[in-house]
Amino acid sequence: MRHLKILLIGQPNVGKSSLLNALVGPRVVVSNYPGTTVELTQAEKTFNGVRIKFIDTPGIYSISDRSEEEKVTEKALLEEKLDGAIVIADSTSLERSLYMVLQVTESEIPIIVALNFIEEAKSKGIIINSEKLQSLLNVPVVPINPITKKGINNLMVSLLKINEKGEAFRVEYDDHIEKAIKIISLHIKEIALPNRFIAIRVLEGDEDFYKYLEYKKIIERAKKDLKDHPKIAQDISITRYGTASFIAEKVTKIVCLESKNDFSDKIDAVLMHGIWGPFITGLFLFAILGILLPFGNFIQGFLMDLTETFLFSLGLIEKQSIITSILFEGLKGLTAGVSIALPYVFLFYLILGLLEDIGLLSRFVVIVEKFLRKLGLAGKSFIPLALGLGCSIPAIRATRVLSSKKNQFNVASLFAFVPCSSRIAIIMGVVGFYGGAKLAFSVFATSLIAGLIWAIGAKKVIHIKTEPLLIELPPYRKPLIKNVLVKSWIRMKDFVIIVMPLLMLGGIAYKVLDIFDIINIIVKPFSIVTGWLGLPKATIIPLVFGFLQKDLTGAMLISVLGNDISSALTPLQIYTFGVASTIGIPCVIALGMLIREFGFKKAVALTIISIIYGILFAGLIWRIILIF
Amino acid sequence: MKSILIIIEEDILRMLAQEKSKESSLNTIRSEIKFSSLEITSAIDELNNKGLIKQKGSILELTETGQEIARNLFEKHFILKNYFLKTRNKKEAYKTANILEHYVSDEVIKTINKLSINKGKGLPLTKLELNQESIVADIVIHDIKLFERLVSIGIVPGNKVILENIIANGVIIKVKNKIFALDKNIAKKILVIKHETP
Repeated sequence: MRHLKILLIGQPNVGKSSLLNALVGPRVVVSNYPGTTVELTQAEKTFNGVRIKFIDTPGIYSISDRSEEEKVTEKALLEEKLDGAIVIADSTSLERSLYMVLQVTESEIPIIVALNFIEEAKSKGIIINSEKLQSLLNVPVVPINPITKKGINNLMVSLLKINEKGEAFRVEYDDHIEKAIKIISLHIKEIALPNRFIAIRVLEGDEDFYKYLEYKKIIERAKKDLKDHPKIAQDISITRYGTASFIAEKVTKIVCLESKNDFSDKIDAVLMHGIWGPFITGLFLFAILGILLPFGNFIQGFLMDLTETFLFSLGLIEKQSIITSILFEGLKGLTAGVSIALPYVFLFYLILGLLEDIGLLSRFVVIVEKFLRKLGLAGKSFIPLALGLGCSIPAIRATRVLSSKKNQFNVASLFAFVPCSSRIAIIMGVVGFYGGAKLAFSVFATSLIAGLIWAIGAKKVIHIKTEPLLIELPPYRKPLIKNVLVKSWIRMKDFVIIVMPLLMLGGIAYKVLDIFDIINIIVKPFSIVTGWLGLPKATIIPLVFGFLQKDLTGAMLISVLGNDISSALTPLQIYTFGVASTIGIPCVIALGMLIREFGFKKAVALTIISIIYGILFAGLIWRIILIF
Repeated sequence: MKSILIIIEEDILRMLAQEKSKESSLNTIRSEIKFSSLEITSAIDELNNKGLIKQKGSILELTETGQEIARNLFEKHFILKNYFLKTRNKKEAYKTANILEHYVSDEVIKTINKLSINKGKGLPLTKLELNQESIVADIVIHDIKLFERLVSIGIVPGNKVILENIIANGVIIKVKNKIFALDKNIAKKILVIKHETP
């Protein structure tokens, strides 16, 4: 069978995921995540006897190496051995899309331009002659509408003959640039990429391409003749844009320029207002929590009843042998994860996906940027931080939206303070249940204050250069429920595939240590901690072993102190326990994810330091309160 | 769209328009245009075929239709050169004009011409009044990648920008039908000129 490997490229909000859904159909084989994180999504489909594998990339404006999204896309473009690429163009801003088209054709990978939002453009008075565009670019141009599926079949048909079209149009630069390109082209190692493409990228200052040069000095030599032309990189991009706008103008007919975006503008006028904006955003976020907590609680209660009956029916097996009792504890760990974390995580991602699809998420990013900047964080960190309220593990991965490893690590360190659903469950289920709502609220507040101090401290110590704000505010759109569901599921997958099995292992590990009576030996050196926190000695077990399976913390506490926690601990002790068990990198799975993203040393150091910080903080507050 | 041949043709026409006598010898053209003589010869043949020039021995002369096109090209070149002279040295301005004249659309040329007549140096984008239409005059950013990012979203000299809102940390602008939030420190480095709507 013939195979094709096709990359999907396009600007943010150009309708890439809708197109992928339209292309592949409902039985989408999706792996990894798109959207707020930066990885590639793959899906396959057989069409007329040809197996086509689509690789979806994060939305970008140009293929350079400024951000992680661009790096991922560029890497896919160059290293995936593609048969071709679909560049999705936005008819409402054609020249911007053509800029990217021209950039991709430089790599000489065969492309098809899929022209989206034609109706939307028409309603704005912009009419595009796709045949003319096709003949100017000398690549197939297919008008599409992923929602009505119009043009999708045409797109598939042209995909099958993607290799047949001749050389695509390419940008000609001025002679001095062309000369420099020629000089560099002569000194490129033999690889699969076109020399001209590499030479252009080198001249544009893309350091990732230096490795293809026979020797680096060639850049200096090529630029020697350009003394009176120091802005070569700028000229390359301006020429490319100039060419794009030239082509766009040739194929576009503007009927009337009236923009009918009154509705969007009116909402934005309020939302972007200096006082109303943050106020409304705050209200919105509270409303989300207001929906999330009771609704999640409801599902949680339902699932807990269900899993309890299930576990009860298995109760007999538990006592049969050591092995079954260990497995039973693993099952308990898993069901705790499913019933406590799952409802919150899923609901949360659903709401987030909805906000994203409507177009509100990027506005929130802009509004909170002002505050985040004061903490040395880029506006974009809002997305991973918000994801952290669901589960820290996908959130750590989502830090990849930030441009440098240093920034990513800085945001990841804050998951020591952003309570994930499991920690929210401790605060609500243990502190709130036994100590009252006020106490639960003060744990949240303490966590927030500890996090703010940490972030400001980190900003002073590491001198992080935050990336400047530069984000598109897409027009408000009606959310496509299917898109939102698919997106939420994709984000959930990390939780289901990575986190849930490990929750089971956490339970098993705890039981094994318990059976061999190792728990007390491990815990002994930590007794100093309970002393500092003013807690009963036995509480060290949930504090330490909560790290294996956070959702079991509450159950462990009950097993060491008995059911009547309100009389075993004073309210202040309940509060201190809540703070100590929620500040810090939460669990061994998060540690694993940190190791994967940032390496062993950094991950372990962050985990240890953040936990010590949490315990010191909890003990300090306890002492301060005691004084008064 | 624009092959090298057409670029050479345009260069020849422009040079002919530059000469007062509307004619020029083949040798001057060969020394000025840095392409192989084979390419130049075929460009001249093309121009002959299109009836834009007449060749008498080694002397080239514009026809009437040729004169019109050539004047247009020369004007473009002149406008661009003058425009870039503000921010670059003479040689640089000449060279930049040389690239852009082949690509820049008539609309952009018109706005750039307006910029040149309007001798003001350009205002930082942050200093505009709200909803004031303006034209990007210059981008004073040395970080190449940031510059490229701005170009890729349409912030290019000659393009229209509307300041929609000023927020605490930046500005909200509309460029080519799309709305962006832009950092204050970047916005300050984008120089614009007010565009009086007729």
